[in-house]
Amino acid sequence: MIKNQFYVISLLVILSMILVACSGGDAGGTSESSGGSESEAVTLKFFHKWPEPEHMEFYEFAVQEYEKNHPNVTIEMEAVADEPYKDKIRVLMAANEVPDVYFSWAGEFSWKFARAGQALDITDAVMNTDWKDQVILSAVEPYKLDGKIYGVPMRINAKFMVYNKAMFEEYGISEPATWDEFLTACSTLKENGVVPLAFGDEFPWAASHYVGDFNAKLVGGDVRSADYLLTAPAEKLFTDPGYVEGLARFQTLVTAGCFNEGPNGISHSSARSSFIAGKAGMIYIELEEFVTVADGMGQDAFGFFQFPSGSGDEGDQKLLTGAPDGFMISASTEHPEEAMDFLKFITGPEMGKEYVKRLGIPSAAVGAVNDETALPIVVKGVESINTASGMALWLDTDINIKIVEVYLPGMQAILNGTKTPEELMQEVHDAAVQAQSELSQ
Amino acid sequence: MKRKFLNQLTPYYFLLPSLILMSVFIYLPVVENFYYSLFRWSAIDTTLNYIGFENYTRIFTDDLVGLSLFNNTLYAVISVIFQVFIALVLAAMLEAHLVRPFFGTLFRNILFLPSVLAISVVGVTWQLIYRPDTGLINQVLRAVGLDTLTRTWLGEEGTAIYSIIAVSQWQWVGYCMILFIVAIQAIPEELFESARIDGANAVQQFFRITVPLVRETTLVMTTITVIGAFKVFDIIWVMTAGGPNHASEVLGNYLYRVAFRNDEMGYAAALATLLFVITFLLTFIQLWLGRTGKEN
Repeated sequence: MIKNQFYVISLLVILSMILVACSGGDAGGTSESSGGSESEAVTLKFFHKWPEPEHMEFYEFAVQEYEKNHPNVTIEMEAVADEPYKDKIRVLMAANEVPDVYFSWAGEFSWKFARAGQALDITDAVMNTDWKDQVILSAVEPYKLDGKIYGVPMRINAKFMVYNKAMFEEYGISEPATWDEFLTACSTLKENGVVPLAFGDEFPWAASHYVGDFNAKLVGGDVRSADYLLTAPAEKLFTDPGYVEGLARFQTLVTAGCFNEGPNGISHSSARSSFIAGKAGMIYIELEEFVTVADGMGQDAFGFFQFPSGSGDEGDQKLLTGAPDGFMISASTEHPEEAMDFLKFITGPEMGKEYVKRLGIPSAAVGAVNDETALPIVVKGVESINTASGMALWLDTDINIKIVEVYLPGMQAILNGTKTPEELMQEVHDAAVQAQSELSQ
Repeated sequence: MKRKFLNQLTPYYFLLPSLILMSVFIYLPVVENFYYSLFRWSAIDTTLNYIGFENYTRIFTDDLVGLSLFNNTLYAVISVIFQVFIALVLAAMLEAHLVRPFFGTLFRNILFLPSVLAISVVGVTWQLIYRPDTGLINQVLRAVGLDTLTRTWLGEEGTAIYSIIAVSQWQWVGYCMILFIVAIQAIPEELFESARIDGANAVQQFFRITVPLVRETTLVMTTITVIGAFKVFDIIWVMTAGGPNHASEVLGNYLYRVAFRNDEMGYAAALATLLFVITFLLTFIQLWLGRTGKEN
């Protein structure tokens, strides 16, 4: 009898342990789901992709400021770096643990969330309040799908060709304005024993910024947008000769000796370091990187121009490759009001100015970038963005991921000369047809 | 009668806790994984579309799966050569009666050191060594006039996977060597002594005494190395992420990419099942070989 009791008790202990383990999770869930009215405690989850110390300092400051003014709101912030962010946000979505406010690239990356019903439609909150006067509206465009706004930009960013002023002067090169002039500048630098163009393509998003820019200039706007959005007829997808020409020009940069040796084996940041160290004449970088370059070589040591990747072809020659970076709100958030309020605060002019001052990166808030808050060269960069006819979004976040997985690694093969532009575009076409058929299912 | 039955049940009560943990965290996920592999679904939009075995038929037409498996096999073959055979030779050399008292410990530590480093540290360090312009390897090649041999080691389709495999050997040979040293030290010294008296040289001692007597360890090391080569993920992800142009893709790495970049969770689950079957078979072979080893 005693033995029997022992069995029963031991079983009960085991079962209760399991039950405790299971109910632990539930308890955590219910405490968060309460709330709603203003005085009640609200916890917002905020997830972004800037874990670097100087960025985190700004975000921690912004969160503290907000919490000070809204004592009932607690913001749980988390950040992971650029590359892992692409994975982690998907994992969170799959686990149905979408953060209340989360970062998203503009274009297809954000539309995917919108289409899946994971992003809150905030059109009303933005357009029918003073919010619309606080933020550069053109930067909101890439977060729109079917006329509805799903995200608000935090900052604006574009890609420029940056050059070493001393070298250009020494070898008598002026800022190239056409594709041919650009190639001439390359060969002049090369003849003088300098690497013309620093390039690190270990992760092929770097190549996609070049190719995206070529596509924008060489392929007509309507054709390109129909291909990127997969709305073109299946047999026509990515068949415009401009795409092949774009890859061919990209390959020309290799064969003409513009790039440093073995770009596929070098990371982008290490290519940037070699430019800063004066080992290369030019580098294709984002406006947000200007401040790093200025820190390294002085703000007067470098200048920039728009990459003259086209030569009066089909596409829009005044497009700039770049995109705003911003945040979206989860459609399943339990505190939409608070989430929108926080988003409005962090993307507003007050925080925008703070952002520019601390980081030197242009904010998307109206009037945040001026001579007081930013380096003159950054202000100039923002002016170029404002005068550009529009933005060609980052290729790798603007087209369907299945095409990206063929297109981007293929660019590495183009660099190595192991694939021809025609072959790659054929593969891209096939991938696009496949992706299109899956979307319609 | 009832009591006897309960008595027989006793051991199972003791097994129950670990059985439950094993089922919840190992067996259930395996079954679940198979279930999920029958659907088309993405991480973002979690509606499950039943497609039967389509994900499995796709494995056979997917060139990247073939390429990944080829790279895994390459990884396994080279790893066995280095981490089993060369590690054994190194171990025997360091345990040779003239080396051991003098340099044994020193070399043992030097060779063992890489295996205590974190994979990401090793990956980044070797990325610098492999750098095409300022990397150590290319600079040495240029310094001795072998310019034609310089490569973009991690950036060319032909060299990327070999470059990574080499790093892995550098890291693990010392570790395997230590395990062999332990095995060699378990061999009674008298055997070597009498062999020497009989006039056997070092090579003969190695093949006649060391190799047969560390057979068990060799067997275990071989299977562990091969299984490890099929499960490899971290070092590849750190160094090239499968690039350039998928040239250094391995199964684990491709699976991750399919799941978390391409949002094809169902297909990734099917790939995971494939990986499971491969490692399961290899483990089975290991267990089977281990059994015959004991009978002898």
